[in-house]
Amino acid sequence: MAANGDHTTSAIPGVLGGSSLPVILIVAAVIVGVAALLPLVQTSIATTTGGSISRLEREREDWQARLHEQEVSVAQLGSLERVEREARDRLQMVTPDNVNYLRVDAPAPAPHRLPSRYLPAEPAQPDTGSSLWEDVFGWLPVP
Amino acid sequence: MSKRGFGETWRVWAVVCAIVLGTLVVTLRLVQLQIIDHDQYAEEARLTHYGQDTLTDRRGALLDRNGYPLAASEAAYNVMVERRAWTDVTKAAAAANELAIITGVPATEMLSIVTDTDVFEVPVARGLNYEQAAAVRELGLNGVRLLEGSRRVYPEGNLAAQLMGFVGQDNSGLSGLEIDLDSILGGSPGEVTYERDGLGNQLAFGERSEVPAQPGNNVVLSLDRYVQRIAEQELDRAIKDHKAEGGTVIVVKPETGEVLAMASRPTFDVTKQDLSDGSKQALYRNRAITDTYEPGSVFKLITMSAAIDLGLVTPGTWWYDEGVLHLNQWSIYNWDFSTNGSQTVQQILTKSLNTGAAWLASLCGPEGFYDYVHRFGFGVSSASGLSGEVDGRVRTPETDPDGWSAVDMATNSFGQGIAVTPLQMAMAVAAIANDGMLMKPQLVKEIVGPLGAQTVQPETVRQVMTPESARNLLDMMGVVADTTSTLYLDVPGYNVGGKSGTANIAEENGGYRPDAYISSYAGVAPLEDPQIAVLVKIDEPKDVPWGSAVAAPVFSTLANKVLAYLKVPPTDDILVAKVEN
Repeated sequence: MAANGDHTTSAIPGVLGGSSLPVILIVAAVIVGVAALLPLVQTSIATTTGGSISRLEREREDWQARLHEQEVSVAQLGSLERVEREARDRLQMVTPDNVNYLRVDAPAPAPHRLPSRYLPAEPAQPDTGSSLWEDVFGWLPVP
Repeated sequence: MSKRGFGETWRVWAVVCAIVLGTLVVTLRLVQLQIIDHDQYAEEARLTHYGQDTLTDRRGALLDRNGYPLAASEAAYNVMVERRAWTDVTKAAAAANELAIITGVPATEMLSIVTDTDVFEVPVARGLNYEQAAAVRELGLNGVRLLEGSRRVYPEGNLAAQLMGFVGQDNSGLSGLEIDLDSILGGSPGEVTYERDGLGNQLAFGERSEVPAQPGNNVVLSLDRYVQRIAEQELDRAIKDHKAEGGTVIVVKPETGEVLAMASRPTFDVTKQDLSDGSKQALYRNRAITDTYEPGSVFKLITMSAAIDLGLVTPGTWWYDEGVLHLNQWSIYNWDFSTNGSQTVQQILTKSLNTGAAWLASLCGPEGFYDYVHRFGFGVSSASGLSGEVDGRVRTPETDPDGWSAVDMATNSFGQGIAVTPLQMAMAVAAIANDGMLMKPQLVKEIVGPLGAQTVQPETVRQVMTPESARNLLDMMGVVADTTSTLYLDVPGYNVGGKSGTANIAEENGGYRPDAYISSYAGVAPLEDPQIAVLVKIDEPKDVPWGSAVAAPVFSTLANKVLAYLKVPPTDDILVAKVEN
């Protein structure tokens, strides 16, 4: 029995020795503890990320709403009624009594174009940059 | 071994019975909750655990031909309150008071809305702007959230109100182009379903499914806001000056049939609709397409076109006016009861002789005359795409073989006894100005969506008459305009053409209303290369009835302003200078 015990002790020298066992147990406990915390940390990170996404989405919607308000404001400031009122009241302009015509030998200005905000969105440009894996494979001496 | 007494046994059985009974009650209750009323409680649980919102994206804008928005949308927010969150009266009152300061809705009204409802949550304030919504969000009230939607705004105010129409609280079109183009402007709603916590907030890792909403398309109209504004201003001025009941002005680009302006009076305030007020319903209709009238002498252009295009007369053909035309038991006189003797066909138009028009129609015969009436688009809808457009009324030997008689054609020849819409008349005049080609009225030029732009091409209806005949008519209209007093018609630097009309107003039960007239004027400018065809119609002017005095000045001012705006070069004789580049 004593020989067997000696054999066992010598097969894993120092591992199950009297002084190292508590260390092993502590390390194991720490590992188990950390492992147990991992899902919590992961959940916490994911929750924070989810919250950030929600916040950013709301911010984006807010900015879009403000943008639309500004667009409407621009339209209202450019309305004919306001332009005429400003010209008449603030700039003291009056309607001409006589209209004089002169002909300019030059091409007519280009017609108005639809403001860009009412045009379809430009299609997204495809990402031409190479990925990390493509870079890694690019270093390898393969054809 | 002891023997239990009766009292002891009774107590045991009582306890057993109580347990069994209690178990039975609990079991039955569980059966009720989980089996019998399962659906009800499952639904309640679902409503508690899951929130569902309808997602709406921005409604498309209605733009004028140069891209200026006539109707656009901006974000608007509804304040939603959960009924359960406001069960505590004190806390609810405090929350309502805070909301009232921001929203302007009385706290008592909000409390009443929440108290009276039996749904999970209810809107207590609608249509908040961004600043108000941000302030509500800052309050952080439990059970209160913001639901984003959109609000329709009209940057140009009431410009073309009847044509534009308006939308309801749900952002769906209710009248005008808003309803006619609703499927294009409205996009498609989406829906989001999410798991939420006890306070109604969305769980970060809860279940969530979303069908995103699709934004509406922007629609570029053929209208020009400047031309529309001028048309409305001049229409208002004429109505005021002549104390008229209302009127219509339509400006068309002859070459394409594009409607540059369509104005009708009386109108309504598009920013302050009150749908509950039934008396205002009549103001919403677009009278340019929904109402018919007897066009009067403007219709002589159609009669003249038929006779000339059939090769029966030329502008120089002579005819003898006896001042009266007898047809069966009816006698037809000129508008001024004049007898003019020998007259040319041009003079029939210039002097607007009813007897001459009736003579021309008789030359064409019923078949020829009504063929041209139909070719010009009368008697059928112009297919403008606007809802509520009517066909008008043309009685012919075919449609009314028993009632129709020769005198009908005679009166039709000078625009009485026939009902047309202002748009039909405008398009007919535009056809004369477009080398005899009738165009379909075009209101939509372009549809711009997330995936691209779709251009709407002008559509021809038919070649009504030869270009040579149309040119003859234009020249004749030019002579008519030249003989009109410059007091009423003066467009310096441009050759214009036109024809006035003064028509009686038919009563619903037959006959004509005494001393009630419709004054109208159809004009084209410039004659060399027509850029605009205009119809002006003034209803029941009180001072003078004549179209030349009431409606022609509207055309005159319109032509002066619009031709300059469209950069149409004037004739050389009015130039003060030529600048060489």
